[in-house]
Amino acid sequence: MFDLIVKTAFLSLFRRKLRTFLVVFMVASSLWGLMFMQGIYDGMIEQMISNAIKSDSGEISIYAKDFRRDKDVKQYIKNYKDIEDYIKQNENIKSYTTRVLASGIIATAKYSKNANIYAVDLECEKEHAKLNGYIKEGIYGFGEKSKGIMIGFKLAKKLKLSLGKKVVLSSQNSDNEITSASLKVTAIIKTNNMGLDENGVFIDIKKAKEFLNIKGVSQVSIVFKDPGYMYAFQKEIIRDFKSKRLEVFRWDQLYPALMQSRKYMEMFGYISYMIVFLMATVGIFGVVLVSVLERLREFAILRAVGTRFGIISSIIFLESFLLAMAGFILGIIFGGGTLYYFSIYGLDLSAFSDALDEFGMDAVTYAIIKANYFITAFLAVMSATILSIIVPLKILYKSKPTEVING
Amino acid sequence: MSPHYIIALKNIIRSKQRSIVTIVLSAVSTAILIFSTALMDGEHKVLLKSAVEIYPGYIQITHKEFRENPSFDNLIFDTNSVINKIRQKDDVDTVTSRFETFVLFATDEKSVGAMLAGIEPESEAKVSKLKKSLMEGSYLDSDDKNKVYIGSELANKLKVKVGDVISFIGTAADYSFCADNVKVKGIFQSGLFEFDANSAFLNKKYFDEIFVSSNISTHIIVQPSVIEDSLDISQDISKSIDKELTSKSWQEYMQALVDAMELDSVFGYITLGIFFIVIFFVVLIYTLLSIFSRIKEIGVLRAIGTSPKEILQMLMFESVVLSFVSVAIGGIIGGAVAYYFNINPIDFGSQFDEQFKQYGLVNTLFPTEFNLLVIFRDMAIMFFLNILSTLYPIMKVNRYNPVEAMHHV
Repeated sequence: MFDLIVKTAFLSLFRRKLRTFLVVFMVASSLWGLMFMQGIYDGMIEQMISNAIKSDSGEISIYAKDFRRDKDVKQYIKNYKDIEDYIKQNENIKSYTTRVLASGIIATAKYSKNANIYAVDLECEKEHAKLNGYIKEGIYGFGEKSKGIMIGFKLAKKLKLSLGKKVVLSSQNSDNEITSASLKVTAIIKTNNMGLDENGVFIDIKKAKEFLNIKGVSQVSIVFKDPGYMYAFQKEIIRDFKSKRLEVFRWDQLYPALMQSRKYMEMFGYISYMIVFLMATVGIFGVVLVSVLERLREFAILRAVGTRFGIISSIIFLESFLLAMAGFILGIIFGGGTLYYFSIYGLDLSAFSDALDEFGMDAVTYAIIKANYFITAFLAVMSATILSIIVPLKILYKSKPTEVING
Repeated sequence: MSPHYIIALKNIIRSKQRSIVTIVLSAVSTAILIFSTALMDGEHKVLLKSAVEIYPGYIQITHKEFRENPSFDNLIFDTNSVINKIRQKDDVDTVTSRFETFVLFATDEKSVGAMLAGIEPESEAKVSKLKKSLMEGSYLDSDDKNKVYIGSELANKLKVKVGDVISFIGTAADYSFCADNVKVKGIFQSGLFEFDANSAFLNKKYFDEIFVSSNISTHIIVQPSVIEDSLDISQDISKSIDKELTSKSWQEYMQALVDAMELDSVFGYITLGIFFIVIFFVVLIYTLLSIFSRIKEIGVLRAIGTSPKEILQMLMFESVVLSFVSVAIGGIIGGAVAYYFNINPIDFGSQFDEQFKQYGLVNTLFPTEFNLLVIFRDMAIMFFLNILSTLYPIMKVNRYNPVEAMHHV
């Protein structure tokens, strides 16, 4: 019986090749478009999140209590060695780094601007933040005697700074005294983290501790082997360092805008699938309906000779299912293939690089492929299949075989 | 009317299901396109307006080297004569000057680097939202001395409130060292974190005494009578001012932001494009089903002497009527929705406030842009898309000869 169902469904689809082709093409092209759009948009958001995590927050950042509210250089973590020991014992941690953060003013001979100072250990940052990968011009280093400074590209542009130029960096130290250092620009960096590119300067952490007269660090940034572990780690470290006046934040708490963007894209993706497949359902429905109406007499004869309605409805379901599945398979092959291509080579939007900088986005977007895309697509196609056969089956069920055969 | 057109009209009524599906789908997609465009344009307008009006202003005049090299060598050295010249123009509403510099603010406990600008309080209030952003205390007056108007986040960083005294040190226009103590007169909150955390203002008359900047400014800001004319007015001003100076409208000096909006539109249209691919196929499928269900009739018409051209005209007329009706309905619905949300802006505030702050949006209310020209453009796009989707079935059926058509199963 199963053979009969399959054979009948296939023959019916092959008899109307053009219709079949159009429906398959419609489902495939809409799936291709939806997958491409989702993969690229998600790629953009994930790159922005990755840039923020790498260049600043890590997946978890630890600060001294109240530092986030009042970014005073005096609010530093005094017992950071204990935290480092604690981190080193945890096998789930991929990398960590410590930083000293302060605000100050950066001045050239003719112009000055406020700056956010990130005092870092370049070796640690290389492993933890891949900071060396963000160098736009210059070398990854602070030069001899650590008298170098690396500057965000937008800040460098505003101050008309180029490599080798001297700047004076002033800030308030822990004794409330204004302290200054003369530094030479060793690199201009572009992280696409808007805060860093517009106001960030990187200096050597040891030099900064002398310069700012502090004995601890402002931030401990941590990245995990499994990003999902951050939730558990946040609870653990808060519990274990309860009395140490610390504050522990996940990246999504430090960059809520990026988390909102990710949620917005998820919501947008589901709504897009819903709208597109509601329309596709209308298309499949039209073809199935006409196909049923054209063969009312055929089905009436089958019913008259004792074929159960369940078998006839299976034929119609299978026709609709095959149409949608052929579209689904083609769609995911082309959609997945396109995303795979752009995940390797990236979508180059350098022509809009200034505009992308404005949003803190990379000029080349690498698509991502999530299993979720295929699952959502499959569910959408299945829903379209089922919805599109309800009315034709109802019409067929209500029709009386004798009346249809006679005329 | 030609009998073929009458047959076409009868066919529309007879093929009710196909006609209704085509009209509903096309009308819905037309309405979606119109509303999406109105929402997208509205969002961009709010974003740009917000970015321009908080502080930068619609037209900025600077020394032509200032943007590339913002040093004190590249200032506007005869500000008053430039202002007087511009004020004489009929299409200019307000002109004001600013002197922006960066200083180190300090209290007993804290010191923070930030922008300090000398402004003309009365005219500044007409070109930016500074006065409207007052949160505590009061805005500056033109005879104020030693009084500073400071951003809320900067006040938090310095731990000062209205009435407290803060010191600053900076570089004067003649490159000499300058410093002073000023009392906080007012605290403002524009809602734009970066601006509130990095800006403070003095009355320019007083500022000029400290910074040796009398009749000197970094920027002259011009508010046009009609803001849509900013670009033209700016170009006109450029011709009338000194060659050392340059006038740029917001579209020019915020080119990156304008490009960003265009890029956002491109992505928006790509997304809409995917919807239209599906709609295109659905309309094509329904047209195909409808035409092929009448293939025998078409064969008979051909057999009694109707030419392929007349069949084409008949089927095209049918397509044009259906497309016109659906696009008209969609246009009215989409236009009405766009108009409604133009009057009653959509509030995205609670859900996406952090995103708005990141991109410099202080207003979370988004009125859609109601522009009849854009609505007609979108209707025309949908009309041609509809016609295009019916072309293939029409051409295909016209390729059959009368006998083939009459015997088609």
